Order: sequence, then C-alpha cells, then structure tokens
Amino acid sequence: MEGNIVEAATIFGKLIGAGLAAVGVLGGGIGVGLSALGAVQGMARNPEVTGTIQTNMILGFAFAEATSIYALVVALLILFVF
Amino acid sequence: MNETKTRWRWGTNRWIILGLIILSVFLTGLYPPLRPHVQLPAEQLTGPLFTLPVVGEFSLSNTIVATLIADLVLIALALLVRGAVGKGGLSLSGIPAAVGAMVEALYSLTESTAGKWAKTIFPWMATIVLLVLVVNWTELIPGVDSIGLLNEDHIENREACTFDTLFLLGRTEVVAVGGDHECSAGVVPFVRVASTDLNFTVALAIISVVATQVIGLRALGGGYTVKFMNTRTLFTRPMFGVIDFVVSILEAILEAVKILSFSFRLFGNIFAGSVLLFVIGSLIPVFAQSAVLLFEWFVGIIQAIVFGMLTLIFMSLATAGHGEAEAH
Repeated sequence: MEGNIVEAATIFGKLIGAGLAAVGVLGGGIGVGLSALGAVQGMARNPEVTGTIQTNMILGFAFAEATSIYALVVALLILFVF
Repeated sequence: MNETKTRWRWGTNRWIILGLIILSVFLTGLYPPLRPHVQLPAEQLTGPLFTLPVVGEFSLSNTIVATLIADLVLIALALLVRGAVGKGGLSLSGIPAAVGAMVEALYSLTESTAGKWAKTIFPWMATIVLLVLVVNWTELIPGVDSIGLLNEDHIENREACTFDTLFLLGRTEVVAVGGDHECSAGVVPFVRVASTDLNFTVALAIISVVATQVIGLRALGGGYTVKFMNTRTLFTRPMFGVIDFVVSILEAILEAVKILSFSFRLFGNIFAGSVLLFVIGSLIPVFAQSAVLLFEWFVGIIQAIVFGMLTLIFMSLATAGHGEAEAH
C-alpha cells in the first residue's frame, strides 16, 4: 500500500462512498418513528384493540426498516466486495 | 413474607454474574481481543468436496454447519413434542407445552388473516418462522463466530506472532488468539450464523414467493394469471383497460422485487447485528456486549416473525384474488 496511487485512490473512494451510502439509513429511522407514532395514538384512543395495533405496528416497522437496511447493505457491499 | 425476603437477599444468580465479570476482566487482561476481520461471503471450512453438474464445486461452509445445527434442534423439538403428546394426551408440561403455545399463537394469527386457507398456508408460515428464529438465535450462543480455524492468510507480521497454546487435541494445537497488537490474526469460525449468508436468505425468499404463486394457482385456477396480465377490460373499456394492463405488468415486477426485499431485509438485519457484536466485543471486552446481545435477541424474533407474517399476507392475498374486497 505504499506509493501506488491507483490503490490509494480506490481505498479513498471506497471509504467516502460507504460513508455517503450510510446516510440513507436516516429514512428508516423517520419511518419507524412515524409507525410507532400512529400505533401509540391509536392505542391511546382505543386501548382495547392494543393487540391488533401492536401486530400491525411491528409489520409497519419491518417495512420501514427494510429500506434503511438496503442502504446499509449498499455501504457494506462497497466496503467489502468492491 | 420473611423467608422470601431472606431468600432474595442470599440469591445466587447475582454472584455468578459477578464472578463471570471478574473472570472476563482477568481473561481480557491475558488475551486482549484483536480487531475482527469481517467478510461478506461465508468462509469455506474444507476444500472442494465434490462437483455438482450445474452448480459447480461444493465445499462445506460454516453457514451450512449452522443450518444443519438448526435443523437438528427443530427435529429434536418436534420429536419431543410428539413423544409428550403420545404419552400424556392433552396435558403437556415443560418444553412441549411452550412449543405448543407458540404453535397455537401462530395458528390463531394465520386464521385471523387467511380465513379458509389457513390449513394450507400454516405449514409454510410456521416453518419459516421457526427455522429463521432458531437460525437467528444461534448468534447469541458463545462460541459461534469466535471458535474456529486460524486463518493463515490474514496474519500480518508473522514473526512477531506467538500464540499461546492452550492444549493439544490429538496432533492439533488449540491456541488462544489475542495479545500483542503488532500481530493481527483472523479466525475462520466453525459455525457462522446462517442468515448472514445470502445463499440462505435468497433461497428462503425464492421458496416463499414460488409457494405463493403455487397456492394462488391452486386456489383460483387459471384465473390467477389475470393478476399479472389483466386483459379483461382491455377491449371493453379501452381507457381503463390499458391502465389495468399496465398495473398488472407492474405487479409481475413487484413479485421479483419481493424476492430481493425478503432476502435483503433478513440478511441486512442479522449481518449488521453480528458485525456490531464483533466490533463492540473487541472494543469493550467486558460486559458491553451483553446489551448488544439483548438487542440482537429482540431483532432475531422480530425478523423471524416479519418474514413469516409477510409470507402469510402475500399468500392470503393470492388466494383472495384480484379485485375482490378482503373482509379483514
């Protein structure tokens, strides 16, 4: 790793690319928060259907998390595979 | 009231935990952990064993070992429950009762979503949930991802590396990797969590999506393909017919995206979790990993349930047909 400009540029690009790709994880956090917001509001209005609301909250949570996981996987791919 | 108070004061579990923490402080003083080497594809434990016609060379990888262990656990659980049901009738206790409660919870979930087709859909969904659950929970067992073969390719500074031999197994030395930081060595674990291998997750996703199509065909017959090629209203009402047609083509693309989405959701969650365990385990060796282990336990359950529930929902949508109102 000494003096090879192409190798150094590749590693530099890799690290910056992975850092930029990980910014996409932000959307997942907002999505999960919105899902929990809806669930808690629903539970406050109607406490007796808490079980159904909880199940659907977990479902919405998984869908919202999926996109941020895609961003994380892209970052990991850039770091470890390319 | 008095004896419960004294029993709580002289409880033994806290002293066991304290003893383990002190033991770990000593051990990390002797063998400080090294920075882990993270690799996306699963590591092969042996050389190529035999050659398959289409797939190519087959060698044993550590995720296959983990899948086999999960299979053995599930089969043992099933045989245990079968033995208990055969002897005792309807009253179970202990492990068979817990498994029975879980199966009952899954079945009531299936019934509430699928209605008539619950008996067909339930085996798919329950198998996926139980298999993914057991596979995800193997990363909590100490020794998984940490005990393995010394990776000769990743030893830098070979002359400065002296590993302490712990004991001899036959003619193989068992060494403890750790110590000086000029020497950095990697370990190929014997068992690696199967969900961190894309082969496992993509295979499960393909099985799930293909089974959905089969169940849809079985329920609706040839009418199921209308979902993907909607030419019913193409000639009667041309404007809406074209829109319907385009929407149905999009649905076909969505099925392929479902495979990607299923596999990457499970893979990303569990891989990120295991990398987090490695890194925090090597940064703060004492007790900090326990918080991450608790979080990973939770994530394991959620990912298993989500995989199963999404399979359930897509299957019940497939049996309900296109354009009908589902009475949820």
